[in-house]
Formats: sequence, C-alpha cells, structure tokens
Amino acid sequence: MKSAEGRGRTLDEAVDAALIQLGESRRNVDVRVLRESDDETVVEVSVLGGGEAAAAASATDRDEHAETARALVEQLLQLMAVRTQVTVRGSTQEAITLDVTGRDLGMLIGWRGETLRALQAVTNLLVSRRLGAEQRVIVDVERYRQRREHTVREIAYRAARQVKVTGDPITLDAMQPFERRAIHLALEGDPDVTTVSIGEEPDRRVVVGRRRESS
Amino acid sequence: MPRRRGPGQIRAVIGLVNSAADGAGDEDVTPSRIAASIRACLDEIEGASPPRRRVRAYLLEALDAVHDGMPADHVAMLLYAALGVLTEP
Repeated sequence: MKSAEGRGRTLDEAVDAALIQLGESRRNVDVRVLRESDDETVVEVSVLGGGEAAAAASATDRDEHAETARALVEQLLQLMAVRTQVTVRGSTQEAITLDVTGRDLGMLIGWRGETLRALQAVTNLLVSRRLGAEQRVIVDVERYRQRREHTVREIAYRAARQVKVTGDPITLDAMQPFERRAIHLALEGDPDVTTVSIGEEPDRRVVVGRRRESS
Repeated sequence: MPRRRGPGQIRAVIGLVNSAADGAGDEDVTPSRIAASIRACLDEIEGASPPRRRVRAYLLEALDAVHDGMPADHVAMLLYAALGVLTEP
C-alpha cells in the first residue's frame, strides 16, 4: 500500500502535504494521525489499494441496490393496500434480504409460505428491471422464512440423532426448496448421516439416512 | 404417485421453478423438464370457459418464457397468475 507522511500546522495542511507527495485525492486515502501538538501535526496518508477502493465502491453499490429494492417492495405493498414497514436486513453479493413487518401479515405468507414466495417472485421481477437480472432479492415477512429455516434445521439435527441411534432412515415432511436447502446444508458436515430428496414438487421430501462407509 | 390435476399440477410446476431459483441443489431442474411440466398442465386444462382460456393463456406465456430463457421468477409469476385464476372463487 502506497503511503506518505505529511506535516503541517493544522491537520488539513498535513494531509494536503502528504496528498501532494502521493498525487492522490482525498477520496481514495486513509489518514492516520501520528503526532499532534500545538504547532505541528504529523499524519500518515495511505492510498486505498485497488481492491479496497473497489470493495468500498461495491459496498456502496450494494447499499444503493438494497435501498432500491426496499423502496420497490414498499411501493408494491402500498398499492396492495397492505400497511407494512419494509427494512433491509442484509445485503451481500449473493442477495439482498428484506424484512416486511406489520400487523396481521398472515395473508402475505399464505399456505406453507406460498404467497410469500409469490411476492418474492414479483419483487425479483421488478428489481431485475431496475438493477439487472443477476440481483437476487429474498423477501421475508415477519421473519417467517428465518424462523422456518431455524425450525427445519432443528428438525434435521433431531432426525440425524435418531438415525444415528436406530440406523433407520427418516423421511421428513414435504418442504419448500429453501427449507430443503437448509436441511442439506445443516447436515452436510455430519460424517455419519446423509441427505437425499425424493418425490415430486410440491411433495418433495428430504430423507435423512445413515452414511454408508466407502470401502 | 397419483397423477395431479388442476391447481395441484400447477403448484408442482411452480415448485420445480422455485427449486431452480432457490437453489435447493437436490434436483436436476432443466428448462426442458419445466417446459414438459407446463405442457402437461396445458393438456389437463381443457374447456372453452373464459377462466380456462385465461389459465391456458398464462400457461402458454410461461411456456414461451421458458423457451426464451427468461428468469425463473418470470416463469413463476406467470404460473402464479394461472394458479390464481384457477383457484379464485
């Protein structure tokens, strides 16, 4: 990382002195004060590397994308005359997760989360027109999805314990794709059990069984 | 496995499409498999009543979307629309 020391009577003067040496603008640097007294300030100015600057820019882009997605969902729900609050839970390179909260939102979840999944499909369509098809948005209502993921993980661990004791495979209830994914991920690191899915959508189920030792 | 009809059959295709979109990772969901499932729905949805015609129109649009390589959510939305017509009171 390129850096330079700058001295001046004030902080600004010290930073400017270092920036002149580096030939950089204030936007791409990190400033650390080394010494500060009544008549002199000494700073170390470091240029943010390409990767760091790109990461910072990328994080800003993600925040903007998340806000765009949040505003779209809020508007959509307003048009549906549903009084809700929409907030951004998180924004990663993989997906933006939005939380929808409010009163009596059961109708937004629907049977086994069917309506929630439909809302997510519409949201992704709206967002893809603004931000491009590669930007994925996950919509959660009253943390239903998060709670379901937690529940199915608990179910998975319980089933795994039982399989280890009895040796018999256990077929779980029919689940949505995101729930099956949570189960596969929860048990993928367990050396004693294995998971496979059987059946056709929407009755597709995960079977937890004992992992056969490879000979 | 018993053969599904009507809403159940469309729900099955939606599940398949969502499986591709959500990345459950436990099923080989190809566009041709989705297209075949939509065609099977079209074979089941017969009749000239206005709701049936609307359902068929959505299903045909979904089939076109699969053939055009549209995103899974786009296909899912059209299928949800077909399901909505079929299940509306």
